[in-house]
Amino acid sequence: MAKNESIFRLENITRRFGALTALDNISFDAPRNEYISLLGPSGSGKTSLLRVVAGFEKPDTGRIHFMGRDITDLPAHKRGIGFVFQNFALFPHLTVFENIAFGLRNGTDDVTDAEINSRAQDMVELVGLEGLEDRVPDQISGGQKQRVALARTLIMQPKLVLLDEPLGALDANLRGRMQTELRQIRERLDVTFLHVTGSETESLAMGDTVAVLDRGRIIQSGTPEQIHDTPSSPDVALFLNRFNLFDGRLSAQSFQGPFGTVPVSYVCQNPKDVYAVRYDRTKAFRKGDALPGPALPARFLASEYLGSSIISFFETADHKQVEVDHHLSFGDPDDYNVGEEYILSWDPRHAIVFGSEVAA
Amino acid sequence: MESKTLKPILAVYVAAFILFLYGPFIVLGILSFQQGPEGGPQFPIIEWSTYWYKHLFGLTPPSRIAPLPVGEALLRSLTLAFMTMVTATVLGVMAAQAFRRRFRGAGIVFYLIVLGMMVPGVLTGLGTSLLANNVVGIERHWWTTAFVTHVVYTFPFAFLVMLAILNRFDGSVEEAAWSLGVSPARTFRKVTFPLIFPGVLSAMLFAFTLSFDEFPRTLFASGRDQTLPLAIYGTFSVEIHPNIFAFGVMTTLFSFALLTVYGILMGLSVRRAKKIAMQEDIS
Repeated sequence: MAKNESIFRLENITRRFGALTALDNISFDAPRNEYISLLGPSGSGKTSLLRVVAGFEKPDTGRIHFMGRDITDLPAHKRGIGFVFQNFALFPHLTVFENIAFGLRNGTDDVTDAEINSRAQDMVELVGLEGLEDRVPDQISGGQKQRVALARTLIMQPKLVLLDEPLGALDANLRGRMQTELRQIRERLDVTFLHVTGSETESLAMGDTVAVLDRGRIIQSGTPEQIHDTPSSPDVALFLNRFNLFDGRLSAQSFQGPFGTVPVSYVCQNPKDVYAVRYDRTKAFRKGDALPGPALPARFLASEYLGSSIISFFETADHKQVEVDHHLSFGDPDDYNVGEEYILSWDPRHAIVFGSEVAA
Repeated sequence: MESKTLKPILAVYVAAFILFLYGPFIVLGILSFQQGPEGGPQFPIIEWSTYWYKHLFGLTPPSRIAPLPVGEALLRSLTLAFMTMVTATVLGVMAAQAFRRRFRGAGIVFYLIVLGMMVPGVLTGLGTSLLANNVVGIERHWWTTAFVTHVVYTFPFAFLVMLAILNRFDGSVEEAAWSLGVSPARTFRKVTFPLIFPGVLSAMLFAFTLSFDEFPRTLFASGRDQTLPLAIYGTFSVEIHPNIFAFGVMTTLFSFALLTVYGILMGLSVRRAKKIAMQEDIS
């Protein structure tokens, strides 16, 4: 199969829980042998989507295809799709080694004990759990449990592994390390990872392809760069947590917002008029400085030091919070006084304008 | 300040509770060492002896007091309790497993099962006997009608125990097994069952003890051959001798032995249970 061929395909998947529509007519083509990250806020239906693909739940309507086969009516244990749970769901009564060997030992395929043991040992080495084989899950740390969960899944050599917020239960330090490791492990095996997360940084960092899920619909999918630089809707921009969004009114060739009226050259189709500027494109100026574009007066609230950059929080006259991200490689940050008023500005060419009217 | 008045009251309460719980058994225990065969079931103790224990096992010279006719009844009751235990536990586990998913009429079925505990026992026994004799045409025996009433009686207890256990059970380990290509049946055997085993033990203990000393339901349903509680009751109608007390002490010791076995088996699976708890804490 060529790389661009899809590993699984969703056709008009809908899943309802009573009055709630968890998945709303989703169609999605998942590229093969890639790291796909699915970004969505809690309640967007991302776990439902995974559970439907895994076969733990049936969709109300729609079909699921996996490796060219319709698997909609196939029970979970006949699908050959791996699943890594957020809480790991290790078998508490079995050792690390037996957890990893579980699928081979209890599966329908005839595998000799010698082969099971050697494959399980390979997996132990792949995820770096040597020496812990005889421990039980309550004797190992969260990061180690994560590795057991992964090894237990990968030993079955699935072509698709679903990961349900696999890093959510780990502390920040470990999360960063597991991110890299997950990507490395995936690249070594011919397997697609579908990783569901509520963290925009995680989804952008890990995905070869990023899909954004909102209220049961996939509202955008593409490379991390595409998603990050050109969000297709204000909702996507909001989830990315990297854009200042302003409501306003779009007319023929200008946008009227809290910062006055600015000329607009390109407009993304959207029912609501929204003006978006990335945090790191927004800059703060003192009164009287020369401005690159529109002027938005705002009061300084506080700042947050993130190591490589500083995020400063400002508040406009109508109590809207605006963030300014200053990367320290661009020079030392300015000192702002709390409560003092500054002028926020940006180059209008860097703004993204959403609106119902398409500019000429 | 508060504890100064409250503590003594609570202490007296606990003492009274323990007295009422164990008092009868202690009296019974003491009287079982009454002298025999002349000594009766009353104080004072004429002379301490183990006569009635020997009498129980037929080790005393023949006297006017007939040996307690319990040998066969005991075996019968043990067999019946064992059969009931196995059947009620299997049914209880299966029913509780079914209730993990909401199905149509789940509420009604739940109350129908639980109400079974509350139906007056004598009437159930009588009703089952009439049904068996007159409608179905089955002879009344301890292993037919009495067995059915025992299962009907103990099943709700086993069901409730298992329901409580499965309620706290995290189903994601089962889903994990399925996603590894393991069939639901094998998943139940290899994952679910080992994890709910402490609960299964409790359900078994409930069913066994409830069946072992069941009286009202068995009264009509057991037919010709009596179970142990019926046999003992039968001896009361003639005259009460301390041999019954000696027997009571023996069965109580047997129950303690049973509890010890339960405790050991529980202890073995406690480590497992701890592991589950730890994993639940993390999630």
